[in-house]
Amino acid sequence: MPNRLVDGDSDFLQRIARGDEIAFLTFYRRHQGPVYRFALQMSGRAEIAEEVTQDVFMMIMRSPKQYDPGRGSVAAYLYGIARNLVLRRLEQERPYLAALDDPDSRNAQLAARGPDPLSDLTLSERVESLRKAVLALPPAYREVVVLCDLEEMDYAEAATALQCAIGTVRSRLHRARALLAEKMRAEERCAV
Amino acid sequence: MTEIDSRLLEGLRALAAESPCEAPRHVEARLLAEFRGRSRARLRNRWLAVAGGAIAAGIAVLVWMKPVPAKLASAPPQEHKGVASQAAPVQPQTTVSLSGQAQAGEVAEDFYRLPDADILPPLDSAVIVRVQLPISSLVAMGVPVDEDRANESIQADLLLGQDGLARGVRFLN
Repeated sequence: MPNRLVDGDSDFLQRIARGDEIAFLTFYRRHQGPVYRFALQMSGRAEIAEEVTQDVFMMIMRSPKQYDPGRGSVAAYLYGIARNLVLRRLEQERPYLAALDDPDSRNAQLAARGPDPLSDLTLSERVESLRKAVLALPPAYREVVVLCDLEEMDYAEAATALQCAIGTVRSRLHRARALLAEKMRAEERCAV
Repeated sequence: MTEIDSRLLEGLRALAAESPCEAPRHVEARLLAEFRGRSRARLRNRWLAVAGGAIAAGIAVLVWMKPVPAKLASAPPQEHKGVASQAAPVQPQTTVSLSGQAQAGEVAEDFYRLPDADILPPLDSAVIVRVQLPISSLVAMGVPVDEDRANESIQADLLLGQDGLARGVRFLN
């Protein structure tokens, strides 16, 4: 995310607290993209991503002074809020998403193989099947893949957003990539 | 890095590039509407607070300015504990009305004239304000006090002229 460390974010938050509409709009336009993408890649559903994005900025609107610059960047703070909201939504919808969340389940394996596992995979097909494979990862692995691999966030900032140690981010990412690679291998075996 | 790893990274990069860049426009519209609603509510609350404060201040002023009926007694001023009785009462040039607003030609008889009262403009109208005075402050008014009780306080009525300056003082306890 190129605008991760944006100058003046703290100033914007102060102006938002005073009811400055331009400041809110500028702040929203700066940060909504990454927040929306994160929520979408975590949930796989546009309606959840929209709701989460809206709720993240509603929280900023209600209590803009809650952000503490000493605890990380504004982006990490926003990802942290979005992550909690997404996990809450996924928890509420667990009965419907259980199959996708369990990487060992038969349904998850089928999802990872894509709609037509016997076809020779093109890049776009591989991307689609990878998207499903990412969604099939357990949330703790999925979030590090989304932040570090898809949003290109560094480990330290990801650790701030996820409220865990950098070592935990590294080990989860390593494990998540191994799971994804395993799915790709299985997929290729099926395609041959 | 194995071939599968490089294909995985390539796929992840492609997946990142394929992801939508922005939230739908209607999310921004909804948030903006909410923000405006909150701003209006905040503005309304601020005005209500200002209006409430002004009303409270007005009531406070009215209560503070509420005139205390002045005695029209012709009796000599009573002697107060801690205050010697040598001070001369204000001569009855005028009389204060019962409403507290003195008309020309009116004054209360039991007020002590303050030392500077002579150099002030003549009294056209007056207001009486009840105050709590430290006994020690009476010295500055030219009233002899009992030094043993200088630290105590005494309730008094101040006779303020049309210019807001005190002309006389009356002790209540």
